[in-house]
Amino acid sequence: MAEKIIMPKQGLQMTEGTIIEWKKQVGDTVKEGETLFEIETDKLNIDIDAPASGTLLAVLRKEGETVPITEIIGYIGEAGEDVSSLTGAPKNPPTEAPTESPAESPTESPTESMIEAPTEAPTEAPAGASGRKFVTPRARKTAEEKQLDLQKITGTGPEGLVIERDVLAAAVSAGSSAPGQPSATPTARKLAERTGQDLASITGTGPRGKIYSADIAAAARQKTTGSYPESAEYGAEEIPMRGMRKVIAERMRSSLDEAAQAVHRMDIDMSEAVRLRAAFKAEGRAVSFNDIIVRAAAAALKRHPRINRQIGSNGNILQFRDVNIGIAVALDEGLIVPVISHADQRSLEDIHAESKRLAAAARSNTLQPEDLAGGRFTISNLGMYGLDSFTAIINRPESCILAVGSITDRPVVIEKQLAVRPVCTLSLTYDHRLIDGAPAAEFLQTLRGILQNPLLMI
Amino acid sequence: MSTKKYAVAIRDVLQQEMQRDERVFVMGEDIAEQGGIFGCTRGLMEEFGKERVRNTPISEAGFIGAGVGASLTGMRPVIELMYMDFTYVAMDQILNQAAKIRYMYGGKATLPLVIRGQQGIGRGNAGTHSQSVEAFFTHIPGLKVAMPATPADAAGLLRTAIRDNNPIMFFEHKALYAVSGEVPDDPDFSIPFGKAAIMREGADVTVIATSLMVSRALEAAEKLSGEGIDVEVIDPRTILPMDMDTFVGSVKKTGRALVVHEAHRTMGIGAEIAAELTEKAFVYLDAPVARLGAKACTLPFSLVLENAVVPGVDDIVEGVRKICYR
Repeated sequence: MAEKIIMPKQGLQMTEGTIIEWKKQVGDTVKEGETLFEIETDKLNIDIDAPASGTLLAVLRKEGETVPITEIIGYIGEAGEDVSSLTGAPKNPPTEAPTESPAESPTESPTESMIEAPTEAPTEAPAGASGRKFVTPRARKTAEEKQLDLQKITGTGPEGLVIERDVLAAAVSAGSSAPGQPSATPTARKLAERTGQDLASITGTGPRGKIYSADIAAAARQKTTGSYPESAEYGAEEIPMRGMRKVIAERMRSSLDEAAQAVHRMDIDMSEAVRLRAAFKAEGRAVSFNDIIVRAAAAALKRHPRINRQIGSNGNILQFRDVNIGIAVALDEGLIVPVISHADQRSLEDIHAESKRLAAAARSNTLQPEDLAGGRFTISNLGMYGLDSFTAIINRPESCILAVGSITDRPVVIEKQLAVRPVCTLSLTYDHRLIDGAPAAEFLQTLRGILQNPLLMI
Repeated sequence: MSTKKYAVAIRDVLQQEMQRDERVFVMGEDIAEQGGIFGCTRGLMEEFGKERVRNTPISEAGFIGAGVGASLTGMRPVIELMYMDFTYVAMDQILNQAAKIRYMYGGKATLPLVIRGQQGIGRGNAGTHSQSVEAFFTHIPGLKVAMPATPADAAGLLRTAIRDNNPIMFFEHKALYAVSGEVPDDPDFSIPFGKAAIMREGADVTVIATSLMVSRALEAAEKLSGEGIDVEVIDPRTILPMDMDTFVGSVKKTGRALVVHEAHRTMGIGAEIAAELTEKAFVYLDAPVARLGAKACTLPFSLVLENAVVPGVDDIVEGVRKICYR
């Protein structure tokens, strides 16, 4: 029995992966545990080991394809095992002339090869004759009642099994055999009428193919855009939306959909921070302003546990004890947020070393899953681009992100006297579902206090 | 209607039946002065005396054998086992004697005998005191087997059992004794054997659950309704006779079935139900009939591990999703 190869789930949030490279070709011998293929997830490129020893019998998904987790992408089994019924592919015609068989396998007795002979497909088998279609008894009965051709119905059950909902969906899209109107919500019916669309021509996405108003809207959009490719229309190059870009797109959108994002800004006098950095430098030890801000934010978070919270997947509030700070690292084609764990317990130099390591690993795509896990609070620093301040979008499921602008000499008023000081504007985006304006402001106040008197970090 | 606990519903039926028919008597360990370790015979000794509320030594084979004899001579004994696990000690009396006497005497003898008691998980009573043993008694012809999941069913089925002229195995559940529910006050209120209860109507999938698993199936059904899966929950109430007609009718509607029992999955009644459904409703099935039961493992002492071995709400949710291909 052939062993399935599936797209493995490599992290809690992973829903799909892209096959980067098959390390073996169909027909190659593989050993359990040796690298079989490489995938790209939203976070990492990972080598995946063969789940069993044997021969790679089939590869169902090619390099570059993005596949949902647990979907079968290939089979491993015994050499010569026929998996066409599993893959739905035509049986391969015999590759060897029958006369060669005994010579190829001298240990086999003639009777054995005679037994094998009839299983070979006749060479004149019609091209495209596929493996058997599997249908549940109920789906078969429903298809008969609705007079639908099962061969034309695509199965959505395990390994392409045709189940009743597939037949019902086909009945709805055929629009003919189903007695009466296809099932639709009242709003959908009204919308269809208003936009002049035939319900029978619309595929419902609800249970048993029920049509929702969103389906009508989607069909209307489809109608207006048609199938003419946009790229051709605009003379543009079309780049598939996948991997990290796709994840960023989805997560940024869902962050704005879910979280109630509000922003506080505060100017910080960085004179003491500049002095601190100079003191390290004078001793030949390097720390950056970003490291100082990470350390100060960690100390402030420790003092404001109400900020160190998230909304959990069940809707309750998670109060964290760990202070783990994510640092946004820009890449050529995207952005990634590795995490400095227990930042409140690390020295400045330790933070410096860790963030250098993480940034280098991010750029060389060698971050490990644990480097990306457990973030509670993200710091995004675009000061080097000369931005005075900017607004960041919360990196969900976290509830805060701190946007750090450049440190520039600016005029400030101190005790009614005009002075010039190095000033940095911090912008805190917080999720107002969880954190109210006053506690967010208090947190920024504490952070300012620490940055203006770095001794308080200790 | 009165609201009462499952254990009290049982006690009240015992009392009413003993008042109605003086041939009815109860017998078991610590049932007289103490009223049974779960209180199912509390107060009966005071009302009926020690002749009809009889304490026994720790000797299941002895007092079940005595019950068989009393029943043969015209009495209607109701025997309490402290733990139904202890039926093992009296298997010859139950399976070789009680189950076969009516047949072997050509129908001339009747055997009005109820063997009742609690089983299952919930108290961390470990491997020899936490089992669900009902399936053993369904394999040998001659017994009827009830396993009520609610106070009303406990009352209605126990009355039917006491008035039946055949030996009945009556499986209560230790974790259900403290559950309250409405019970009809009618002293003749009874529920026929072989009639399942549809606990929740649904269109998408049939979950057949027994005893403690009924409430877990209902909880799972609530969770699943949030995902758009409409679950029908059926409690067979008696597993011999088994109301296959109700199951088949439900599966004709839903196309899918999951059987959930606390007893071990291997060779359990789930397999029997699955096979019957495949024979009687094959063309209506849109997925294989699935089963959930305790893992093939001795019931552990630890309460945490106990719950890891028997199906929980999440297991049922997952089991339903699987056959709904979700």
